[in-house]
Amino acid sequence: MEYDKILSDILGREDFLVVGKNVVRTDALDKALGKAMYTADYVPRGTTLLKVYRSTVPHARIKSVDTAEALELPGVEAIYTGADVTGNNQIGYALPDQPFLNDEKVHYIGDPVALVCARDEYALEKAFQKISVEYEELPAMLDIDVSLSEDAVDIHEGGNIALTTRIRKGDAEKGFSEADVEVEETYWSPYQDHMYIETEAAYAVPEHGKVTVICNGQSPFLVREKVAHVLGWSLNQVRIIQALAGGAFGGKDDQGPLVSAYAAFAATKLGKPVALVWDRPESVSYSNKRFPARIKYRSGATEEGKVTAVEVDITLECGAYANRSPFWLWRQTAHAAGPYEVDNCSVDGRAVYTNKVYGGSFRGFGDLALHFAAETQMERLAYELSMDPIEFRLRNVLKVGSRTTCDQVLDHSVGLEQCLKAVRDASDWSSHREPVWEGSKVRGYGVGLAYHGISTSRSTPDWSAASILLNQDGSLTYRTGIVEIGQGSPFGHIKIVSEIIGVPPENIRIELPDTDSTLNAKPTHGSRGLMLGGTAAAKAALTLRENMVACASELFEVPYERIALVEGRAYDKEDPETSVSVRELAEEMYNRGYDPGAYGYFKAPKRFFDPETGLGVNYSVYTFAATVGEVEVDTETGETSVIRVWPAMDCGKAIDPLMIEGQIEGSISQGMGFALMENMELKDGLVINPGFKDYIVPSSMDTPQIEPCIIVEEPYRHGAFGAKGVGEPAIISVVPTITSAIHHATGLWFNTIPVRPWTMHKALKEAEP
Amino acid sequence: MEISFELNGEPVTVTVEPYMSLVDMLRAEMDVKSVKKGCEQGECGACTLLIDGAPVTSCLVLAPQVEGRHVTTIEGLEKNSLMIDLREAFIENGAVQCGFCTPGMLLSAYALLRDNPHPSMEEVKMGIEGNICRCTGFTKIIEAILDAVERIAPE
Repeated sequence: MEYDKILSDILGREDFLVVGKNVVRTDALDKALGKAMYTADYVPRGTTLLKVYRSTVPHARIKSVDTAEALELPGVEAIYTGADVTGNNQIGYALPDQPFLNDEKVHYIGDPVALVCARDEYALEKAFQKISVEYEELPAMLDIDVSLSEDAVDIHEGGNIALTTRIRKGDAEKGFSEADVEVEETYWSPYQDHMYIETEAAYAVPEHGKVTVICNGQSPFLVREKVAHVLGWSLNQVRIIQALAGGAFGGKDDQGPLVSAYAAFAATKLGKPVALVWDRPESVSYSNKRFPARIKYRSGATEEGKVTAVEVDITLECGAYANRSPFWLWRQTAHAAGPYEVDNCSVDGRAVYTNKVYGGSFRGFGDLALHFAAETQMERLAYELSMDPIEFRLRNVLKVGSRTTCDQVLDHSVGLEQCLKAVRDASDWSSHREPVWEGSKVRGYGVGLAYHGISTSRSTPDWSAASILLNQDGSLTYRTGIVEIGQGSPFGHIKIVSEIIGVPPENIRIELPDTDSTLNAKPTHGSRGLMLGGTAAAKAALTLRENMVACASELFEVPYERIALVEGRAYDKEDPETSVSVRELAEEMYNRGYDPGAYGYFKAPKRFFDPETGLGVNYSVYTFAATVGEVEVDTETGETSVIRVWPAMDCGKAIDPLMIEGQIEGSISQGMGFALMENMELKDGLVINPGFKDYIVPSSMDTPQIEPCIIVEEPYRHGAFGAKGVGEPAIISVVPTITSAIHHATGLWFNTIPVRPWTMHKALKEAEP
Repeated sequence: MEISFELNGEPVTVTVEPYMSLVDMLRAEMDVKSVKKGCEQGECGACTLLIDGAPVTSCLVLAPQVEGRHVTTIEGLEKNSLMIDLREAFIENGAVQCGFCTPGMLLSAYALLRDNPHPSMEEVKMGIEGNICRCTGFTKIIEAILDAVERIAPE
């Protein structure tokens, strides 16, 4: 079945009712009234508090942990260490390198050593002062080159390289021999913190042989799996209720399961409810960050402007644990040539351990660092060839029929060229080819492209599920395991459902994901929430629609084909006077034996991936984006401001244009923060700027003028109504757009981000003749 | 110690430790959960509320400091016409994503428009400078506040 053709092929309509229109989100009112509940809001007064006691040294063997004195303190209820873990003390996602509670070694400042339960924060603080851990310190590997050096000390058994990746497509050396120009540079992109305003939290309530956890992860079923694993229980003994999350951006996908496991473990041991709510310094210092990466990149092109070869060498810094680095590094490897068709690609990657806070999931997932490098290379090549950067890109962009870095043929849904031409024209690019000076300030225009494979990498089976219940009064209950983290995917689902069964979105209530009653939708990551989850919703809605239509057909005594469902009514298309409300229809369905409940299970098309060559069909589909941006550099202060941005995106089908704009605008802000402001500062492995005071994120004052997003719709045939994921692709082109505009304005190239005022100031001074 | 103040127009008396912050007193002792905790450094603005009408980050205020004062949270302005205009403008302009910053953001926007009913875009940006939103990038929030200006019924 071609899901992009539901409207014409199944619903028999030409116009959409709600899809493609801006419809007010059903969750917005509660949020604006202050009534929306987040994890910490569920914690009742007097609940036992849990805090994770962490290592204070970056690399050491634990000789002893003494908690006796702390346990004597008033208000301290329990302290647990690795010795208390009776289930499994191993929680690594991809590799078994991460203990739940470290009892032998610690690998970064912040490694969990003990769980302390007490009646309030003051008792917790006193207990922390009385716990003593004796360490035998080991040399700290605080830099990837130190970790890779010959005399490096191994952080984990098996050495400091967690994994390697490799792609060989065509013949890179032959490609370079055909090139007229070559550029080779090394790029560095650092840690970035998510800085969601709501910190990580979990509230666990135990009962006999069961535990319920309210939490703010991104994958309730993964949370359940980790909690059950640590406890040594079966999945049906663990119930996860996912609260609304106050921002997540990938970070809570990694931390959600861990935070929940700590709370559930302590609650079941203690036999009473336990709450764990991180404070801001904990969140910044100890939770996973965007993985830093060093990318060495060599590219060659002909005088005609055709890229002939790329050679890319990626060194990913894992930090203390591999966490999601295998997925991250493979994504970078598979996207290495950027959104261009390059016949000859040679890509090598390695993920390297250091004794620092570990990296992990973050919006854009590796493609930010990769595109910063790949796009800057394209700028440099265009410059070497004296070609317009957009014209040069247009000669190389991926089109229908192109082959990606991993030799995947793109057979449909490739709208990159349209995006690029659209932002070129909207920004009047050709009139802005000279930097403009005003006093000490200079303005320039830059461009950046992005492509991002939607959902998980390689050939991991991908599927999702959802359910709908039509209640007797005609109201509907929708359940998905895709979580609400601000992006609004579940609301996108009910717009899809609404379109199919003809009932307005406000009549469909979205329940919080609850693993005891919700079907597994798989995670809310990889920009898959709407595309995979929404297609499962469409399948459920199509089944329910069949039942509704069949019942109406029996009721009206007309053939099935004559029934239409719109605006909360079923009617006979040939005699619209013959109609019933959905309320009456629901009643009839219950009485006449038509199933009022439906579930949808959607399996994404099978992919193929060869881990030896790195070649194959790595992703079902890609979302494409282009941005043009104008920046202003104050050459006196070194400050760079983003003035104006023109975004375009091929999202397959815009289910809700306003929400897509919201994703794009938020991404521009977050990408701008990464390019110009944000940086984690570490001293001897300790994060020394763990808060909004010193870790500067964009404020309202930094907001550029963002032009209306140009939406390109090249439908994806396995996505509901043709939709593809949006949340991550929106951020990827932002960084290279800014650095490209900086180069246009100042003539300076930056291979390292962020470009903060002092960095710019220094570079300007050095460039002075 | 015992503290008496007015919360959303109602006189209240609470017994708390003198070192407790206002946000903790409201959340933990009085179940006012609309006041969010994001940083406890006065930087993120999620705990913004009004003390005698002025927007304040309640994580930097000690509970005893509100003795005899008027504290207003978003609940207290549910039926206020300016807040209704702002709320509807936020909802309809897509200014609400995760919603965690929203109560504090709305209170800052309320104080801005109450004192300056016709702000420029720059003044709007300055009015919410102390409230961080990590989801929207502020564009739709700024648009919503300017839209609310249009909605305010002429007196």
